[in-house]
Amino acid sequence: MRWVLGALTLLLALALAASGCGGSSKKADTSSSENAGPANITIWTPFVDPELKTFKAVVADFEKAHPSIHVKVVGGTNDDKIVAAIRGGNAPDVAQSFSSDNTGAFCPSGAWIDLGPYMKDDGVDDSIFPEAPRDYSKFEGTRCALPMLADTYGLYYNKALLAKAGYKTPPKTISQLTAMAKKLTQRDANGKLKVVGFNPFPSWYENVPAHFGPSWGATWMDGDKSALNTPEWADHLRWQKSLIDWYGYDDLVRFNAGAGDEFSASNAFETAKVAMHMDGEWRVAFIKREAPNLDYGTAPFPAADGHDDLYGGGYVTGSIIGIPKTSKHKDQAWLLVKYLGTNSQGLAKLSNGIQNVPTTTDSLKSPALKPLPGFQTFLDVFGNANTTTTPITRIGPANQETFQSFVSKYMSGSKTDLEGGLEGVDKQIDAQLKQAEAGQAP
Amino acid sequence: MSAPAAQPPLQLDRTRAKRRAAWRRRGMVAAFMSPWILGFTIFFAYPLVMTAYLSFTHYDLLGSPRWIGLANYRYLFTTDQTVWPAVKNTLWFIAIAVPLQALFALGIALMLSRARRGVGVFRTVFYLPALAPPVAATLGFVYLLNPATGPVNTLLGKVGIEGPLWFDSPQWAKPSLTLLALWGIGNTMIIFLAAVLDVPRHLYESAELDGAGAFARMRYVTLPTISPVILFAVVIGVIEGLQYFTQAYVAASVAGGSATYSAEAANSLGYPEDSTLFYPVLLYQQGFRYFNMGYASAMAMLLLAVAFAVTFVIVHNSRRFVHYQAPGR
Amino acid sequence: MSAQAAPAATASATLVRRRPPAAVRRKRLLVTIANHSLLIAAALIFLLPFIFIVLTSLMTSQQALSPKLWPSPFAWHNYIDVFSKAPLWRYALNTLLYGGLATLGLLVSSIPVAYALARLRWRGANVAFLITLVAMMLPPQVTIVPVYVLWAKLHLVGSLWPLILPNTLGDAFSIFLLRQFFLTIPEEYLDAARVDGLGEFRILTTVVVRLAKPAIAAVALFSFLFCFNDFFGPLLYTGENSQYWTLSVGLSQFRSLYQVQWNLVMAATMIVMTPVIVLFFLAQRAFVEGVTLTGVKG
Repeated sequence: MRWVLGALTLLLALALAASGCGGSSKKADTSSSENAGPANITIWTPFVDPELKTFKAVVADFEKAHPSIHVKVVGGTNDDKIVAAIRGGNAPDVAQSFSSDNTGAFCPSGAWIDLGPYMKDDGVDDSIFPEAPRDYSKFEGTRCALPMLADTYGLYYNKALLAKAGYKTPPKTISQLTAMAKKLTQRDANGKLKVVGFNPFPSWYENVPAHFGPSWGATWMDGDKSALNTPEWADHLRWQKSLIDWYGYDDLVRFNAGAGDEFSASNAFETAKVAMHMDGEWRVAFIKREAPNLDYGTAPFPAADGHDDLYGGGYVTGSIIGIPKTSKHKDQAWLLVKYLGTNSQGLAKLSNGIQNVPTTTDSLKSPALKPLPGFQTFLDVFGNANTTTTPITRIGPANQETFQSFVSKYMSGSKTDLEGGLEGVDKQIDAQLKQAEAGQAP
Repeated sequence: MSAPAAQPPLQLDRTRAKRRAAWRRRGMVAAFMSPWILGFTIFFAYPLVMTAYLSFTHYDLLGSPRWIGLANYRYLFTTDQTVWPAVKNTLWFIAIAVPLQALFALGIALMLSRARRGVGVFRTVFYLPALAPPVAATLGFVYLLNPATGPVNTLLGKVGIEGPLWFDSPQWAKPSLTLLALWGIGNTMIIFLAAVLDVPRHLYESAELDGAGAFARMRYVTLPTISPVILFAVVIGVIEGLQYFTQAYVAASVAGGSATYSAEAANSLGYPEDSTLFYPVLLYQQGFRYFNMGYASAMAMLLLAVAFAVTFVIVHNSRRFVHYQAPGR
Repeated sequence: MSAQAAPAATASATLVRRRPPAAVRRKRLLVTIANHSLLIAAALIFLLPFIFIVLTSLMTSQQALSPKLWPSPFAWHNYIDVFSKAPLWRYALNTLLYGGLATLGLLVSSIPVAYALARLRWRGANVAFLITLVAMMLPPQVTIVPVYVLWAKLHLVGSLWPLILPNTLGDAFSIFLLRQFFLTIPEEYLDAARVDGLGEFRILTTVVVRLAKPAIAAVALFSFLFCFNDFFGPLLYTGENSQYWTLSVGLSQFRSLYQVQWNLVMAATMIVMTPVIVLFFLAQRAFVEGVTLTGVKG
């Protein structure tokens, strides 16, 4: 069977040869971009209708300003698709991601090209972005994306339900939130939850640890090591668990199973099944469209007891746009990226239509900005000094998901040792970080 | 190569002609086999070698593979906290769901073999769910077993039982998936039915003459005779259990409600609490969501080893239980 | 299982069929009744999910979220709404493309291979068959990473080609099935054709294929069904490109992507299930033939 050995060796050789063919990354041609020639470029965005319409309108404005560039807009994409497309070799010319988490994967590997040279040539300085968006669109000094529209999170509350229970103002501290939540909760004749004052269930709708962290002043990393085993996180998680236990874990599961889908017209807050709710600023537009008669208000999320100074801040993250390295029209792509990321008119129009937060300091002050009532809260949160984001790492969203996995188990009672569990999560995340950098040339 | 008949005085040297004929024949065989030779090489042999190679590298498709030696395996066996729950889940499925499916299919086949009337109708009814596409069937079951609004819990509530949380409970998620699997045993059931009906009558008659009751007849005649088919079903079941992906993925993502819209919302693979995180699901997550392809390759090598080991163990131990009928069927 | 049939015709004493005593007859009747009742109960339980799915598909979205079991009113328009919410026709077309082309390629490539393994005598035949068996049993996850990389480098990820093309180079399971069937073709037919001067290829296309029509039909059916039901493959290769989603992927995304409630999801589920069930009723014989091919003669 000598030929078997020969065949295997041949296969191995073929394998090594094939794997060596990586995607080529051409150096960005940064010569005067404004005069880039005509081209058809494609942009991928996660927006779907009706927000996609606004997006397309802004892109149309760009096309009017650059008549030789034609842009095809593909909506409904998501992070996984973009990542897969880059790796699959058929990525668009411009890609928008809803989450800044993958910056840490795109930038160091060159999957999204370094925009530094383009920005220098066109005189775009990243000080036009407020601090948080500036940070979550670059990694270890390489800027491979521009922020485009940010999301901030705060508290939505149903004024009618609150008034019925005798409340006129939203809670400002966590203990107020807890007390009000308990009073606003209603059960039906069988003891099943009918209206939930505040749903603390982990990973339901927007209830992920990252969104709550700023209210306790909790941070994620200490240098480049994961640091979740802190009193701040422990306080937050203990609060969450105590409220869950008050409701009854199984009762909440049942309630969630019967609640509508987050982005459907049967959303639990929009149908008044939940009195107070942590959500992002886009919910304002959704309510206007789907539940226009809802009597609601918005406010910053309550701050943890003893951390009153944190009140007014919240969690921020946002979309990023960049140019995948496989693009064949990088110059034209840069023009579109520049427009969408820095043009105040465009950003204001996007913000008005989609009700996301515009991400340049100029656009925040733009007179064209016409926020809906209730939206101002989120603009304020965006500008607040206590507003923070999750640090960008090489492992993308994996650290958050590892944390969420533990949180789910702790909330259900499967795991009871909080500090031990948090330490375990830290160790895991550190191991993941180490894995991601394994074998890299120093 | 035909043997020469008589020995004629004149011996023609036909060796060269024979050799040419032999080569032509080999060429023909090669031509017939060529699609599969190509297919096997490109889609089995080459990938197997590559998987082994990639398992020693760090590769995320954005660059070239970076050689890191045994680091992936070290991470796999000592550090990764999600692997062992995944292994346990898959082993649970193989140890519990697969035998249950075989038993259930056998039970129904035995009942059907005794039925006098309407066998065709029954057979169709039991086979129909196996036809349902897995995604559709899973969606159906997730809805049916919805703890709040699903018909099953509603019906149970009417008789005063508070139904469990089914797909939303870590203890009940795998049993729910097992129920789904039991619903779809039509294929296995048909095979068992054919085998049971194939048992020679005379064996039953001689057993009866020896005084064997119905149960003893089943134990000493039916089961041993169809034991090769049972073995076949178990082996296939185990192989499918090692690949179990679709139902777990769909159930977790639908019950967990992971919205594709907001990329920030929790990833719910394995919902709830990793109870539906089977090994192939974890492999998919590592390889095609996080793009740790080197690590996924290491996981794949482990899966290969386990697949071989388990199949070997079953087939080896089967000699004790399986009776192959004498040739001349 | 009583000896009711007339005994084999042997010479000498003819056995007289006595009616078994009443007690035994009564016991047997009870057993039969019990058996049938169990069967009916089991059949009802098996049908129940279908019934509930259909009922839910006819509810309004509010009702689907409530514990009510019977739709009132009957929302027949759900089945039409489903098509306007999601491009189900496109998904169906993609599924047909995938299933049809893959099955065609599979048949054309697997039949010669199975014939070579079954009826042509050559030295490596048994080894080749064993290797085929091993390939059949290999979990796809073991080879999936390099294969995906291969398609990615060829820039074919995001299309249906990675799903279709491998089938044009043979499929282990089909080869196995066809080989088992070809083994049952009497050598005499083939020898007669050989004597008539037909080459092996002509024998294959004229004699064997005609004889093997039921097996080929069964293999084609199985292959198409596999493609129809395939989720992992389309998820992996077309997941990022919703233009090429098959019905299985589209259905799994239905709830979250189109923000619909359970009533429409169940309607879509029924729509996806129906073609298979119809196909089954039209091709029952091929189904059963195929299933027995795998099991009993294995």
